[in-house]
Amino acid sequence: MSETLSGAEILCRTLVDSGVDVLFGYPGGAIMPFYHALPDYPRLRHILVRHEQAAAHAADGYARASGRVGVCVATSGPGATNLVTGLATAHMDSSPVVAITGQVSRPMIGRDAFQETDIIGITLPITKQSFLVQDAAELADVVREAFAVAQHGRPGPVLIDIPKDVQNQKVEWTTPDVGAQHAAPLPTAGDAAVQRAADLIAAAKRPLMMVGHGVILASAYAEVRALAEKTGMPVITTLLGISAFPEGHELHLGMPGMHGEVHVNRAIQRADLIVGIGLRFDDRVTGNLAAFAPRAQIVHIDLDRSEIGRNVRTALGIVGDAAVVTRRLVAETAARDCDAWRAEIEGCRRPPDASFRGGLSPEAILAAIRDVTDGACTIVTDVGQHQMWVAKLFPYRRPNTHITSGGLGTMGFAVPAAMGVHLARPGEVVWAISGDGGFQMNMAEMATMVQEGLTVKMAVFNNGYLGMVRQWQQFFHGKRYSSTPIWSPDYVKLAAAYGIPGYRVQHASELADAVGQANAAPGPTLVEFVIEQEANVYPMIPPGGSLAEPIEAGV
Amino acid sequence: MTLVHAVDVLLDGTLLTLNRAVGVLRRRNVAVERFTVRPCGPPGEGGVSRMTFALSTDAATADRVVQQFHKIVGVRAVAITTEQDHTTEEQP
Repeated sequence: MSETLSGAEILCRTLVDSGVDVLFGYPGGAIMPFYHALPDYPRLRHILVRHEQAAAHAADGYARASGRVGVCVATSGPGATNLVTGLATAHMDSSPVVAITGQVSRPMIGRDAFQETDIIGITLPITKQSFLVQDAAELADVVREAFAVAQHGRPGPVLIDIPKDVQNQKVEWTTPDVGAQHAAPLPTAGDAAVQRAADLIAAAKRPLMMVGHGVILASAYAEVRALAEKTGMPVITTLLGISAFPEGHELHLGMPGMHGEVHVNRAIQRADLIVGIGLRFDDRVTGNLAAFAPRAQIVHIDLDRSEIGRNVRTALGIVGDAAVVTRRLVAETAARDCDAWRAEIEGCRRPPDASFRGGLSPEAILAAIRDVTDGACTIVTDVGQHQMWVAKLFPYRRPNTHITSGGLGTMGFAVPAAMGVHLARPGEVVWAISGDGGFQMNMAEMATMVQEGLTVKMAVFNNGYLGMVRQWQQFFHGKRYSSTPIWSPDYVKLAAAYGIPGYRVQHASELADAVGQANAAPGPTLVEFVIEQEANVYPMIPPGGSLAEPIEAGV
Repeated sequence: MTLVHAVDVLLDGTLLTLNRAVGVLRRRNVAVERFTVRPCGPPGEGGVSRMTFALSTDAATADRVVQQFHKIVGVRAVAITTEQDHTTEEQP
């Protein structure tokens, strides 16, 4: 059936047809036709954020938690540029986000019109693809292609820039035949490559698995676990690979790299084979590349061909989906054990560091959250010291329950991203854990939570410093604490101003009650943890240093 | 060892794709010489361009640049030749 619709109506219909149920956005002049049409499509729930950056992070959080595309909307000019940090975050962490931006009308483009900016040009390096829609008749196809590109292969953000007059343009619309679309096939590994990987595993004396975000994106949990259990290979999870393999499993070693435990990094340095699945061996993982895993042959399995050999030399690169390749590898690999090797690694394990004086340690705080949730929650972290403590200490047992900004290291990510996670998993408790610096970057989103009825439990680790930068100043800049002391408002009163229950914890004895009440209370809640001011994250590999030379507690 | 690698890219001739391709090249921070873009294909069947350039770098870096080009939506083919070759001239 044919009917006449505006571009804005076509956009709404196509979003509905694409399975979208929630959008994060902020209206403005150049996107007004879309917002005019939106109330006619109640299936599209719109979350009005307080800043467009939060819309992009929330869409990212939604995408990571749901495995589906997250959608954010902004107007032209400042609305669009405010999305940039969120899109860069999604790009670095391979998250499928579609950003829809209003643009000035076609006749005004290029004239420096009011709120005009070249958002496509600005976002070119941080998007997989971008579209400037020139005609409403092509809008539906553009949206469908954008969703396909965002999700296909290695996921990433896509931007659709729609001039205001195109949103208003009336065109004939016919319900499309979306069944005609065919996604390009994913690359598949050859049998010989898989067999060679199996042979390398069989021959190795000290093999390791390192798994990253690609395992979570491919839901390759069972395959990775099967490979580990069949071979006895110890498993290392990168920051974005956390929760891809159960913490507490006897084969799980922990997180590698700059803040990896000593025995994890020692294992890498002693290994003669590393099977890397869905990770990109970034510099926070490898430290000094010239000194990384000097004895190891590296088998690198990744969906993105360009990552093979990009950072580390590989003996064998296998391009393919983590689940598919690992499943085939399990079938080809002979059962073995690594008992002697695992015992050698255990010999390198250090007792937990005692750098944190007093009872209100990260261990105690995270144990309280674990206890009140029974581990059945998703943790979203920000960036900094608290992020490393959570990564190292929280006992993740269910897949994809740890969400953080890894590659870009975006402070301010946790609170808005947690809103998206909540909407993707409405039946699950979501804790957004931030430092006092990152929390203050996007704390205005508490108003979004209240207005939109979003349940996020917020934890603020307040040490009065931009803690990780202060730690670097302590270690590498002669304790010159330049611009790292940071004042905070009274968070309990701040929460009260938003009508949110707030709790301040200054002693370990208060933990159970405060965390329990915050977790149980309906709606958003905030807990401030007043922690030691100058605690450090140990161990630490100095930037550019070798994994073999950590700074340990007591420096 | 630094060599001169001639790279030949066949891609959609839209400004957006060309812009994206140039951006990928720029952010690699590699010395680029003899950069050209020209229309490709039979007259009247436009829409495809050929981008050619030479990279003064080691083989591994040149290969990484080529791999990045493969990821760009709209890039149809990428070829790299040896240091003896120069930028490919368009055949009539």
